Amino acid sequence: MSKAQEFEPKIVAYVCNWCTYLGADLAGTARLEYPPNVRIIRLPCTGRIDFNLIIKALEVGADGVLVSGCHPGDCHYTAGNYHARRRWILFRELLDTLGVDLRRIEFSWISAAEGRKWQQVVTEFTDQTRELGPYKELYATGLFPDVPAPETASPEAKSFAAESELREVCHKLLAEGTVKVVIGYGARGPVVVTRPEDAERLVWNNRCFSNLTAYLKRKEIKALGKAAVIVKPCDEKSLVELEKEAQFERKDAHVVGMACEGVGQPKCAHCIARMPRFADVTLGVAAGPEPQSSASPDRFAALMAMPPAERMAFWTEEFNRCVKCYACRQVCPMCYCERCIVDKNRPIAIDPAPSTKGNFAWQIARAFHLAGRCVGCGECSRACPAGIDLALLNISLHIAAQRNFGYEAGADPKAEPVIGAYTLQDREEFIL
Amino acid sequence: MDNVYKPDLMEVTRVRQETPDVKSVSVRFLDSERARNFSFRVGQFGIFSAFGYGESTFNICSSSNWKDHIEFCFRKVGRVTEALWKIEEKDVVGFRGPYGNGYPMEAWKGRDLIFLGGGIAMPPIRCAVWYALENRADYGEITVVYGARTVADLVFLDELDEWSKSERVRIIRCVDPGGETPDWKGEIGFVPHVFERAQVAANDPVVLVIGPPIMIKNTLPILDKMGVKPASVYTSIENRMKCGIGKCGRCNVGPIYVCKEGPVLTMEQLQGLPADY
Amino acid sequence: MSEIISQSALRALAAEWIAGGKSVAGPARVKPDLVLYRALRSGDDLLLEGFQRPSNSIKEFLFPKAEKLYGYKIHGNSIELIENDSPEPAQVIIAARPCDAAALPILDHVFNWDFHDEFYDRRRAATTVVTLACSAHDENCFCTSVELDPGSERGSDAILFELGEGQYELRCATEKGRALFDGKTEKSERTGKAIPGPEKKFDAQAVRAFVTTHFEDPFWKEHALTCIGCGTCAFSCPACHCFDIVDAGPAAGNARVKTWDSCQFSTFTAHASGHNPRPVQPARQRQRILHKFAIYPEKFGEILCTGCGNCTRNCPVGLGVLSVASEINHG
Repeated sequence: MSKAQEFEPKIVAYVCNWCTYLGADLAGTARLEYPPNVRIIRLPCTGRIDFNLIIKALEVGADGVLVSGCHPGDCHYTAGNYHARRRWILFRELLDTLGVDLRRIEFSWISAAEGRKWQQVVTEFTDQTRELGPYKELYATGLFPDVPAPETASPEAKSFAAESELREVCHKLLAEGTVKVVIGYGARGPVVVTRPEDAERLVWNNRCFSNLTAYLKRKEIKALGKAAVIVKPCDEKSLVELEKEAQFERKDAHVVGMACEGVGQPKCAHCIARMPRFADVTLGVAAGPEPQSSASPDRFAALMAMPPAERMAFWTEEFNRCVKCYACRQVCPMCYCERCIVDKNRPIAIDPAPSTKGNFAWQIARAFHLAGRCVGCGECSRACPAGIDLALLNISLHIAAQRNFGYEAGADPKAEPVIGAYTLQDREEFIL
Repeated sequence: MDNVYKPDLMEVTRVRQETPDVKSVSVRFLDSERARNFSFRVGQFGIFSAFGYGESTFNICSSSNWKDHIEFCFRKVGRVTEALWKIEEKDVVGFRGPYGNGYPMEAWKGRDLIFLGGGIAMPPIRCAVWYALENRADYGEITVVYGARTVADLVFLDELDEWSKSERVRIIRCVDPGGETPDWKGEIGFVPHVFERAQVAANDPVVLVIGPPIMIKNTLPILDKMGVKPASVYTSIENRMKCGIGKCGRCNVGPIYVCKEGPVLTMEQLQGLPADY
Repeated sequence: MSEIISQSALRALAAEWIAGGKSVAGPARVKPDLVLYRALRSGDDLLLEGFQRPSNSIKEFLFPKAEKLYGYKIHGNSIELIENDSPEPAQVIIAARPCDAAALPILDHVFNWDFHDEFYDRRRAATTVVTLACSAHDENCFCTSVELDPGSERGSDAILFELGEGQYELRCATEKGRALFDGKTEKSERTGKAIPGPEKKFDAQAVRAFVTTHFEDPFWKEHALTCIGCGTCAFSCPACHCFDIVDAGPAAGNARVKTWDSCQFSTFTAHASGHNPRPVQPARQRQRILHKFAIYPEKFGEILCTGCGNCTRNCPVGLGVLSVASEINHG
């Protein structure tokens, strides 16, 4: 092959202004040679680097992405790179789950004095990427690997014992004016009850799927006044996280916790919380088999046992069915942004079209925005009309949060959240 | 394929900054055959686009008698208008149209015309005024009452001066109280009140009133006192649009698709519509 | 004299069409509990029994969820528009439900209202719809409430009726249907018929009267409080056709793309000025019913709904047209 035909990789480097950019500049003034394949994009701080930017670079044709900033402790903004490091730890896990070739993404700490390190890192990364060849496997399909699908039981509708007590309690709450509205379950789905006599419409049975805490953020509901919200123990965990993020105050709602016998959803097989822990009133008695551990479901292990190319093909097939209905976002209690990033248009950060690229960008954004926040209520998966295995994505980041930071969303109200906090000892063995 | 969504390519021939956040732009067809065959009725709108940013709906604010170019006027308020703000002469933008129903200028022949407009609502009035002045013999007395929050927000001021030079034309400019400058020579007050004070003689006129809902709401009782029937009062409503051709399902106000059966409606029609705008 | 065809022959035909370069779409099992219409990979992919109806509709084969209208290249000051004018490949939709096929003549109106959307028209002309009449209905079906029934041939080029034991009677309704099955069937004395439809669940005229005269009624607020504002109902619906035109710039390939949109999204009617004519969910729910039962009938003489029940089946919180219309009528 002639020199002109040899493949030359395109490398995009996101670098922080204060350290790595100056380090690259130093390499220039010191006349240190390094391959011209790299295009530098300068940002104020690695803490500013949205994970979406890394994926975007690969989407528009980069064969490799380098992300580099100040050493921990040297950040111009004190803690920007600590936040970045934490995000990178989680984001790599998500990318790995998706089957993205992690060899094509490199992270490094390069200071303003380390011109030589810049030369070294860029040269080695370019050589490595040249060896790997052009990145053609992104969103490639054609393989149809078998990933076990979640199991949903469809039992006959069966009322739980506490149903009549629930109606009495809610009747009283409304009649006495303790609350103005009860958000509960009805015959066909959630109901919002404002009159005491309508408490009769409330049900409590094995088809009470919805996570009703998602309604607390809706402005039409807020306008009604103080609410009582019926929660299963799994839904209650959302309140723990919402409270941490200042979206929910205990005094602003009356939490009616229901001991649960399971609603036949995939999550129920791994349930460890049959009793509510933080409710204002708890009804019912937990029944059913002993709770199992919340060890990672086998399905995730089966996915990760596949080679990355198969994982990528699996997710491409899944995401190709996405129609951008945003049911996953709307049912999620943790998706409370007044204007979602995907609805913003200056600039358009996530392609709104339901194309392969647009769907991947959305799914990655959704999953990553829930890292360490998703409590596993499973509503997104149930709501998806295209049957996309969203639970599997959420599980991967849930496990990443557990393994890396010992964090379980919704468990401990006092534990520091994963994203937004950092420690000086967060792992960085993957960072050059 | 006859692609109804494909825009015409237009070359920018002039950009004029009217206010700190409003510009008016003149464009001409790059395709000369299309230019020859193109015509529109005043009151119709077009969907103009900045490639790379998107499309936006603006009234075609030039007179339909001007054959070599068309004009649109916009406020910088979002993604597309921010991109359009940067255009200069010789740049290329997109245009789809003309869409909508336009003013019934034929039916208005022989009548006195009263134009009431507020702020950025002048452009859809401007095209009708120019048309009427260019067909002067067809129309009676012409009165224009145009106001904005401040002097700096008034657009096409130099054209208002020109219009007042024509026969049987009365131009009244006003600004909201507090919006005047020391050398302001026009009226001070909200458009409905200024109009009432002006005591315009009403001889079965046609009234075109365009502006914010509050302005229209306050104008209607005054017209009623003058004996003007809702069927003689016209407005041009706006709504969010995408296709402009009645397919995307977005712009309807009750049963009326603004892009097809509007944007020009009589008050009689508007009052029969649900509060869906 | 009737024409009959066996299941295995149908599958073999589907395989033949695929091999011959036609796009073939039909119901397929995507997950253990999910059946969708999708492009079939083989004759065996086609699912003919064991489910009520797919969770999606066939509209995506005529009105894709993302359709490139044209591309553009920016050369300094000048723009080059790039259109794709290649002919549409022939397409067969096999085993559509009557409630899917009937939506096509309904959609024809809006896509040809003065301006002809050739993206839709060309696909429509290139598509042959082979319908499978229903052999069951569930509690979410309500085709009979919107002037349809499980054996309706509306919108179909050919229709299959189950005879049992893996045999179907085939009736061709159009030339396209006849051309597809010419010589592929056997003669028989057996005839099939559709099952009787579900009992009427509401009166569509009464819904239309209510929705046009009760615009400000508290009913909307009470009923729509639990709607979470996603697009599931609109996107699963055979008749919903609202769309957006997006231009996401260079990162999205420099193209204008027509994409599905839903009147239930909070920013559907939001103006750049910040004003939103439908700022709350009840107003948006009202619009959906108004459009389907009053506006579309007023303009085109058809209800914009075929009673397939997808909206109610798929709605994460159990709403949907059936739920709202029933409440209007009986609640």
